[in-house]
Amino acid sequence: MKSKISAMMDGELDPGELKEPLAALGSDAEARESWRTYHLISDALRGDAILSADCTRRVSRRLASEPALIAPLPGQVRAPVRPRWFVPSALAASIAAIAFVGWVALAPQRGPAPAIAPVAQTPPPAQVARVAEPAKVPVTSATQDYLFAHQAFSPRNSLQGMAPYVRSVSDETVQKKK
Amino acid sequence: MSRAFGAWVLCVFAGVAQAQASPEALEWLRRISVATEKLSYTGTFVYQQGNRTETSRIARRVEPGGSIERLEVLDGSPREVVRTRDEVRCYLPDSQTIKVDRRRDQRSFPALLPAEVQSLGEHYTITMDEMRRIAGFDCQAIVLAPRDELRYGYQLWADVHSGMLLKARAFNRNGETVEQFTFTQLEIGPVPRERVKPRVVTRTWRIEQVAVSPANLAQAGWSVSADLPGFRKVIEITRMLRESQPVGQVVYSDGLAAVSVFIEPLAGRAEAPAMGLASMGAVNVYTREVANHLVTVVGEAPAASVQRIGNTVSYRAPQ
Repeated sequence: MKSKISAMMDGELDPGELKEPLAALGSDAEARESWRTYHLISDALRGDAILSADCTRRVSRRLASEPALIAPLPGQVRAPVRPRWFVPSALAASIAAIAFVGWVALAPQRGPAPAIAPVAQTPPPAQVARVAEPAKVPVTSATQDYLFAHQAFSPRNSLQGMAPYVRSVSDETVQKKK
Repeated sequence: MSRAFGAWVLCVFAGVAQAQASPEALEWLRRISVATEKLSYTGTFVYQQGNRTETSRIARRVEPGGSIERLEVLDGSPREVVRTRDEVRCYLPDSQTIKVDRRRDQRSFPALLPAEVQSLGEHYTITMDEMRRIAGFDCQAIVLAPRDELRYGYQLWADVHSGMLLKARAFNRNGETVEQFTFTQLEIGPVPRERVKPRVVTRTWRIEQVAVSPANLAQAGWSVSADLPGFRKVIEITRMLRESQPVGQVVYSDGLAAVSVFIEPLAGRAEAPAMGLASMGAVNVYTREVANHLVTVVGEAPAASVQRIGNTVSYRAPQ
């Protein structure tokens, strides 16, 4: 089963072959553990941020509390494409996994630990910057609808009469572009 | 130049921060709001925002049953906005559309009441500034310098005789102008009825009604908070926007700046809206997705403030 999960991760299974490993992930704790370990390994190898071990539980909790989402149909879900160099085959993946886990376990614990635990505590700086600095988007006709709906509640109206309403009709070229 | 002004703003800030707002300046704010409500006038003003400039004509006619105002943009296509006692209508010739927003109880909002003018002093340092002549009127300047970086500052110029506002400038923390309204011509006095009637022919135009009803978003599972000192919830409603599903709207204000939070389902949209921040002068618009809903925050406040309010929005399924 582990080799099937590894192959699934690498996008090497045909859609027809996915049923078994997916079912295993649903029912088999060991399969889920393999899935998690393989992802941890691949993230560590590629130097990606590593999520804390508690992440799955927190995501599940959040999902449970959200309203029903519109999920894409199963057929539309595509496994992420992985770079060729990463693992040439499922077998190699398994070997690499064992080797890596062994190396992590046997590595002497001096200096900063091999990237797993500490990184989990603090998100990388790039991510922080993204939260602080949202993408710049253009003003659209929808923006002006909101502005019109907002304008009635602006206390500026009582100092300027309706002059600020010019904002909600300003520059109709924006509206045409859409 | 702008840095010098920034330094000046800081000086005003440091020097007067502890002092109450100048009573004389507060009295001027009251005069301006009374003039805005009581005067009839026609005039031309220029609206500047970023590197855009637009000239509009405005007319206001006070009648026994309320007042009628009309605004017409003179550059580009002749867009018009007409405000009566009960509603505001936007006439958009390019899309042949009339947007209609029913007004709520006029007495309760958004008049700037004396008590509210007083509380403005908690978030702005309000002082008198130099006299200046604008469009032929001798004007008194009043400065509202923000006490923090959460809001913009304002510089207002009002006619010494009537209290009518001739110019308003919004500036950011560096003292740079983000938005400006300036009258270039103004005539105060009786206004004939036809000056406040819409001019465009509209029989075939599409009408978008904006029906509004009170709402309780918290009950529906939404949590929104104005995480900014001084911003209080003003109103919470459900409205129709365009022809979409009902949209929730919560408005926060510090007495001068206002921020609206709109929440609507994302499902059923032809295309996914762009998420991020859009700016138009003093207005910032921040869009994000929460629980498969689109959250749009529109406010006359710095981008960081608008974003901060937007980021407080969360959803928890009602138990």
